Amino acid sequence: MSQFSVSERAAASGVMSQTRAPYFVRKKKGITPRTIAILVFLSICALFFCVPLYVVVVTSFKTMDQIREGAIFSLPTIWTLEAWDHAWNHACSGIKCDGLKVGFWNSIFILFPSLILSISLAMVTGFALALWNVRWAGAFLFLLFICAFVPFQIIMYPLIVMTTTTKIYGTLWAVAVIHAVLAMPVLTLIFRNYYKDIPTEIMSAAMMDSGSFWRIFFEIIVPMSGNILIVVLILQITSIWNDYLIGVTFGGLTGQPMTVNLANLITISTGTTNYAHNMAAALLTAIPPLVVYFLVGKLFVQGVTAGAIKG
Amino acid sequence: MLKSILGGVTAALMLSSAASATDLIIYHNWSSGPEVAALNVLKDGLEAKGHTWTDIAIPHDTGSNVNLMNLVTGGTPPNVFLESSPGVYRDLAGLGLGRPLTEFFTEQGILEHYPTSVVSSITVDGEIMKIPTAIHIDGMAYYNMEVAKAAGVDPASWDSIDAMFADFQKIREAGYIPIAIGGQQWQVGYLTHALAAATGGPAFYNALYGAEPDPAVIDSAEMRTLLETLRRFQQEADEGSVNREWNVTTNMVITGKALMQIHGDWMKGEWTAAGKVAGTDFGCVQIPGAKAVPVTVDSWGILGGQPADVDAAELDFAAVVADPEIQAAFASAKGSTPTRLDAPAEVLDACSVEVLHILENADHQVPNPHSTVDADWQNSIWDVVFNFWSDPSMTVDDAIAQIQENYDIILG
Repeated sequence: MSQFSVSERAAASGVMSQTRAPYFVRKKKGITPRTIAILVFLSICALFFCVPLYVVVVTSFKTMDQIREGAIFSLPTIWTLEAWDHAWNHACSGIKCDGLKVGFWNSIFILFPSLILSISLAMVTGFALALWNVRWAGAFLFLLFICAFVPFQIIMYPLIVMTTTTKIYGTLWAVAVIHAVLAMPVLTLIFRNYYKDIPTEIMSAAMMDSGSFWRIFFEIIVPMSGNILIVVLILQITSIWNDYLIGVTFGGLTGQPMTVNLANLITISTGTTNYAHNMAAALLTAIPPLVVYFLVGKLFVQGVTAGAIKG
Repeated sequence: MLKSILGGVTAALMLSSAASATDLIIYHNWSSGPEVAALNVLKDGLEAKGHTWTDIAIPHDTGSNVNLMNLVTGGTPPNVFLESSPGVYRDLAGLGLGRPLTEFFTEQGILEHYPTSVVSSITVDGEIMKIPTAIHIDGMAYYNMEVAKAAGVDPASWDSIDAMFADFQKIREAGYIPIAIGGQQWQVGYLTHALAAATGGPAFYNALYGAEPDPAVIDSAEMRTLLETLRRFQQEADEGSVNREWNVTTNMVITGKALMQIHGDWMKGEWTAAGKVAGTDFGCVQIPGAKAVPVTVDSWGILGGQPADVDAAELDFAAVVADPEIQAAFASAKGSTPTRLDAPAEVLDACSVEVLHILENADHQVPNPHSTVDADWQNSIWDVVFNFWSDPSMTVDDAIAQIQENYDIILG
């Protein structure tokens, strides 16, 4: 929404300074310079993202012989799925050459516990901070706010020691717990701000009916959280799926996510580079969050705007 | 997994029953085709001794091996790790997890079969800490033989860098780029230390890139020659060289757009992947008239402070890596050169044979800076020479003044 209006203004100011045509003239015509300017601007924006994507997609279908020729924009002379098959089934991550599918399943197994843990933790905390009289709630919120700005790299070492002491280092659970802890500041703030705007009448009625923290949470708050849950789900799925550092640090010997597989495939020291394989692998890794966007993208916008109107 | 365990068990039964089967966790950053083929050579060797191989691959650069130290901190250190940087071995020794190998190598009588640069690369603070697994020469000239023929030049006949530059006009007239160069900081840095060895010789090189650099060489005749030579290479760089990857650069030579490239001889992998044969399609020579060549040694380390059976298995791994037959098989799979001068030559390609021939002369080789020098000092040299490379108006004196200043800050 805001992006559109900014571009509109930018385009309009550029045109207006030259033509200075009265407004009503433009109203009659179907296509005005202003519309053209907007369309040109938006096309350039789209090209900015589409051209590299085009190269990635096209390259993934080429043979290595054609890639060596160097014309990156040309269409494949022979369309081949070899690179995709190789990336999924045969790419090597170390001595194991079973493709990205190994990492894909690891990523899935990391994703669900991490999602459930991080979202449920933040939801309850946000609910408590927004609607209950918690002692030191203001100070706690402020602390959370500060925590949101602490880079993960700074606290990585202590976190390793803590997970080692609790005997979960090197397991899927360590990865899930760390994701939950690191996402907590931002997610809690999102939930807290959303719940803050629930009318006090609803809360008062609920208090009179039951007064139980958990009953109000499950029977009133959770059913009202649809929109914001979609927003948080998309945020979390994207960040957990694309995460490399937490997975590689806490995943240990067997729990490495798909991004580590991808990095192994693409980072070469003294080996040879197969660009077709790399492109196919990168696309395979990027697809799952994209699918989620396409499925619930509309709900995402609804969720964001719902929060915006209320706030 | 099951298959490898069964293979290990069968092999153990076939051999003497004295060796007990141990699972070793092997940490490395190799995942490309030739590298994995080479790892499998070692894996087969390890399994023949009755042990099993558990693999963990995490991509990283030499010198910043945070993931390895994270695994150590987390209490799940690997038994064997691919690591050249001396800093990691010092860190491990500080944690009581170092495993000196001087005694092992002396007992086995292996050391005298290694080139001198290999021995200095695997030594950390006077003790041998690493098991050398592969050799690469940092500055070899690989050239396209067809292009050489078409242009009427013979790179093997050049006996000095001047003779090489003298032929460049002829190559250009024939319609080829004489030398393809990838203008990235690390590539220019590698070219610089290769030229330091080639033009300055071992004494100058070791004074600049040794464990304890000697400030006297910073403003010396050799340093001036080095920087002037580097400038001549920069002047020859083609238009597209800025920020070009080394393997893209190699492809210019493979496809016949350029005659030659001077870079680490891991270039060979690109040539082989394109189906070309050493000695027929492409030739390899050291930098013309070189006084010495810099040698990169990829090495393994093993974890100390282990129970006796694990320690024995780790030493078995060391013995597998050092075995001459396995060395030859490993090198031909990876496209590297064996670390042993007595590795059987019949399985090696023309370029590896050439490299082993060069390395027979103990005075003609120096170790890669990464395995000896202070990382900050190394980075500061890269920084200065890349500025020098990128800015043709920067003089040799400017560069020397900057290097001097960096020396005073870092090591002075």
